Amino acid sequence: MAHPLQLGFQDAMSPIMEELLHFHDHTLMIVFLISTMVLYIITSMMTTKLTHTNTMNAQEVEIIWTILPAIVLITIALPSLRVLYLMDEINNPYLTIKAMGHQWCWTYEYTDYENLEFDSYMIPTQDLPKGYFRLLEVDHRMVVPMESPIRMLISAEDVLHSWAMPSLGVKTDAIPGRLNQTTFTMTRPGIFYGQCSEICGANHSFMPIVVESIPLKHFENWSSLMLS
Amino acid sequence: MAGEGEPGSEKSFKLLGILDVQNIPCARESVLYGSLGSLVAGLGHFLATSRVRRSFHFGMGGFVLTTLGCWVYCRYNHAKLRIQQRIIQEGMRNKILYESSDFDPESKQNKSQGSHS
Repeated sequence: MAHPLQLGFQDAMSPIMEELLHFHDHTLMIVFLISTMVLYIITSMMTTKLTHTNTMNAQEVEIIWTILPAIVLITIALPSLRVLYLMDEINNPYLTIKAMGHQWCWTYEYTDYENLEFDSYMIPTQDLPKGYFRLLEVDHRMVVPMESPIRMLISAEDVLHSWAMPSLGVKTDAIPGRLNQTTFTMTRPGIFYGQCSEICGANHSFMPIVVESIPLKHFENWSSLMLS
Repeated sequence: MAGEGEPGSEKSFKLLGILDVQNIPCARESVLYGSLGSLVAGLGHFLATSRVRRSFHFGMGGFVLTTLGCWVYCRYNHAKLRIQQRIIQEGMRNKILYESSDFDPESKQNKSQGSHS
């Protein structure tokens, strides 16, 4: 989860999020260089005593400030398209999980083998044990096996919701009557937090998402426990 | 989990308030080499021409070009390294999983060497 006053991204927990972080670093460096250059040009223009009151044409500078921005845009666009197509790759998921948005909880369905279905409600602050995160913890976490490609099918039963998990780089709208698909692979074990990202009523801020990533063997034990 | 991000944020140093040179791979080296390139270009031009204003322009241009060049080169190598790390990780995982089974690539290698000899 995010730490207090955090501005940047959370640590990446999936290969796609790692790629997004790297693309962000690349774009940020370009933005930094452009900002530095613009600041310098402004300072330079404000500190000269020279003026030119009879400018008729400026072919050279017009060419430069057309070609250079085009090059900058291509430098940003090519890695961006690469990440975009990486996100759409088909990677033979081992497991399919359905997440249904309700007002105001999520329902997770594991229906590949048996019919496992449970609701995930936020734990109210008054019931929260010590050391747990306020407005982020849920009674039943979505448990997934680590290092396995997972397919998520996301929809909603009533109004628009959005299933968002910053550390996985996933934010997918849950639209009633529509199935949206996203895939991810958890690279490390742990517990990861997200929140509903589409306004859905009074308790929109109180329907968090918690994903727990565990080794496959423990996942099998967990699913047997949940089914019994 | 709340404490994991804090050490990283305490050590961050953001140029112009945006570029965290401590935590972004290759950023620190690029900016340092860029500063060196700026100094060389600006100072060199001034020593050659004694034109102060234009030397500053050259210095600025040198900074941008050197930083960008160093950044692209370093990030390309960093990306190659990450791909190699992923391949090695996958190979190690498969080795442990498939050892002594039919899928073991080492056993296939030994079999093919044995058939050639």
